Amino acid sequence: MAREFELTRNITVGQYLPTGSFVHRLDPRIKLLACGILILAIAFCNSYGGNLIVLAFSCLLFRLSRIPLRYGLSGVKPAIPFIVILAVLQLLFYGDIASGGRVYLEYGLIVITSDSLRLVIVSALRFIEIIFVSSVLTLSTSTTQLTHGMESLLKPLGYLKFPVHEFSLIMTIALRFVPTFAMEMEKMIKAQASRGAEFGTGSWWHIFRRTKEMLPIIVPLFRVAMERAEDLILAMEARCYTPGGTRSRFRTYQTTFRDGLTLLFILCFSLLLWMYPFPY
Amino acid sequence: MGTVIEVEDLRYTYMENTPLAHQALAGVQLSVEEGECVAIIGHTGSGKSTLIQHFNGLLRPQQGRVRVDGQDLSDPGLDLKGLRRKVGLVFQNPEDQLFEKWVGDDVAFGPLKMGLPLKEVRDRVRWAMEMAGLSFEAMKDRPTYALSGGQKRKVALAGVLALRPKVLVLDEPTAGLDPRSRKELLGRIEGFNRREKMTVIFVSHNMEEVACLADRIFVMAAGQIVAQGTPREIFGSREVLLQHRIGAPETVEILYRIQGLGYPVDVGAYELDSAAAEIVSILRPQGVKSHGPGI
Repeated sequence: MAREFELTRNITVGQYLPTGSFVHRLDPRIKLLACGILILAIAFCNSYGGNLIVLAFSCLLFRLSRIPLRYGLSGVKPAIPFIVILAVLQLLFYGDIASGGRVYLEYGLIVITSDSLRLVIVSALRFIEIIFVSSVLTLSTSTTQLTHGMESLLKPLGYLKFPVHEFSLIMTIALRFVPTFAMEMEKMIKAQASRGAEFGTGSWWHIFRRTKEMLPIIVPLFRVAMERAEDLILAMEARCYTPGGTRSRFRTYQTTFRDGLTLLFILCFSLLLWMYPFPY
Repeated sequence: MGTVIEVEDLRYTYMENTPLAHQALAGVQLSVEEGECVAIIGHTGSGKSTLIQHFNGLLRPQQGRVRVDGQDLSDPGLDLKGLRRKVGLVFQNPEDQLFEKWVGDDVAFGPLKMGLPLKEVRDRVRWAMEMAGLSFEAMKDRPTYALSGGQKRKVALAGVLALRPKVLVLDEPTAGLDPRSRKELLGRIEGFNRREKMTVIFVSHNMEEVACLADRIFVMAAGQIVAQGTPREIFGSREVLLQHRIGAPETVEILYRIQGLGYPVDVGAYELDSAAAEIVSILRPQGVKSHGPGI
């Protein structure tokens, strides 16, 4: 009950836990690349053995970056309904496609085979692994680092007239304001509750009523967002920001031997996952 | 007269059980009597806002006890709606919270949520607007977005007053206002306390405000009440001021400086008139009576 207004705690996007570990100190570009490669490998790996190894490896990543595993689990929690729905659908209707192995049950359209069972379990595991790996990435890399890393990885697209810098600026601003608006919203909910407002009363089918209850929050929040945006524009223009200009950066990233080694390791690990014929 | 708010050993930690945990309150003791006007002062991050959010049940005690008008806030069956009507909380920059198109509608939000008959709502809105210094007839049909900052704040204040609270809690009510609106608002708050017999609790960084309004002052630091007393006791004690790095009203600063020069003045005389009288008393030779407040 005491938690009813603690919104900021529930927002994990852009949450960054500075522990100063090895993972934190890696070049963000390398981290992004490595994360991408690893996710690809996870997507291609469809054996029990391989997935268990990746799961163990992602837990090891948490350990290595000195972030409590609880954070990864809290990222999995909101995904559980999706995982369950996906699993049920796959279990019931994928028997035709993944028709290899033993048939456990056949009832009209519903066919459950050992292959479809494997598919269900492996995709649930994949889901969790991907959440873990990307959680480690976002928890160990600040949003500025992430967007800068993204920008320099996307730089080649600039030759195709893709507005790389603007794109990363939009990302930076959007991510930067997530916690700000969460706090703003928390304050608004408290202020309106102090004047007798109630939220989420009535059952979910009272959609109209429940929507109306949100108006005292949404309207001021929109106005605050607009005002903040205007302030931001002013602040940027006051510092002579010009879109498309070339600009240097306070912090430049230097890829070190350590970064290269990490990338090489992840590459080998991913190749192994992909190519090695796991017995299970 | 009785105790209206009683806080015992209150502790509160934000984001408990995470590496980002932050203890905002570390054993707060405080009690506020009915009809008092109390100021809470302290530096940013000392826990003032967290404390006042306990007064109307926005936050529930994690440890310790909070009793408001005899109700224990740890009681799971607490009537929160009733409590929030009893204790009106005005947030910092409350003008952000206006959402209705017309002033009157926005002030009426609280009473309408209480389910009062329309006539009663209208009466309350009229009363609250007049109390906040807005003419009901002239202002009720104005659009909220076309008001000045000071007027918006009055509308937000009226929105809370319309609940007819027994206790009014204000978080930095005058922050960001121009000197005239500031003075007017302070006068209004004083009126709520003196004429309407509301218990007023306010947070402020402005020591002049604190000196002229408060009956009692609570000084907060690091989540605890480190000093309390009348303005005279707090501002009159150099040790307390220095130890907790509290600024003093200008009158007190001047008196301290005069005292430092070796003149016998009463440094606790923080009100403008009595400070003036103190200065006059050292300017005139002993035995000669001054005629009324000088200067």
